[in-house]
Amino acid sequence: MSLRACHNSTKIHVETASFLVVRLGDSYVALPADGVRGILTQDEAGHEQAVTAAGTIYQPVDLAERLSVVADLSGLESRTVLYSTGHSHGAIRVAQVVGLTDVEPKDCLPLPLQFQRDERNWFGGMMLYQDQLVLILNPSWALGELADVVPASVGQSERMVAATSKAVGGSC
Amino acid sequence: MLRATRGQQQGQATKRSWNVVVFSIGGIKLAARTEDVGGVSPWTESIPVPSRTPFVQAMLKRDNHVMPVYDLAARLSCTVQGSPLLCLMARHVDGPMAICIDADVPFLETVDATAIRPNGRGDIESYGSVTIDETDVAIVALQRLGQSRQDAVKS
Repeated sequence: MSLRACHNSTKIHVETASFLVVRLGDSYVALPADGVRGILTQDEAGHEQAVTAAGTIYQPVDLAERLSVVADLSGLESRTVLYSTGHSHGAIRVAQVVGLTDVEPKDCLPLPLQFQRDERNWFGGMMLYQDQLVLILNPSWALGELADVVPASVGQSERMVAATSKAVGGSC
Repeated sequence: MLRATRGQQQGQATKRSWNVVVFSIGGIKLAARTEDVGGVSPWTESIPVPSRTPFVQAMLKRDNHVMPVYDLAARLSCTVQGSPLLCLMARHVDGPMAICIDADVPFLETVDATAIRPNGRGDIESYGSVTIDETDVAIVALQRLGQSRQDAVKS
């Protein structure tokens, strides 16, 4: 009846997914934020191999090595991200924590089909953040739940990406 | 009926000659069918992407569009030459793809289809090679670049 009622009825709810954007060398990587359990400085993380927090043991994850990225992880801005998929827990060392962002599905892009090998398991897609290209990490792979397999066919990879997208909130 | 016949004649005429863009990488002259080329523009710095796909290990960002980079120079074991370098946008079957080429400005050439001969070199996807300015030039199959197969000329 009233204009206000009419306005409310057309309100569109857009679901977004939250990501923690980190830097590893020259690469920017996004982690689904719902798995982030904490961010520690070098001093807080200590020099032990594993980090224990709130009774959970986070095994070290050398993401830079797994991605074959050259990264200086000893700088003042380096952090350790405590991450959990529910099944696995990992302490991921990064060169810098860049920020937290909410992304609409339309802003998540699939990895171009020309990328045909293991990287299709590594990344669920990509997005732009602060004018930077950011690759959306597949946390299951990062925490070792998925082995590096022989290069999958594009069809297989697409199914994997679809599964990954579901894992990161169905946003991509 | 008449229009169809004309269309067929036009099709045959198209098959008789190919319009190609001639460019160079590391001083090596190459060609590509004009319909496989989306454009040529100044090269901008590419963004490295962790990848195990051979020669596809970076992306190029143009405004809000991102496209993969195919390192054709690395595949040909050479280094792009000159400054400023240029970007050739390939219309690949999997989507647009950027290729860094030499600073030499590409030019258009029309070649007789019968002059295209099978390419002896198996190191790159090509439709064959043709002689342009007394130089043997491979016609790179940009649409299928990276799919590791060579397409023979069908005249």
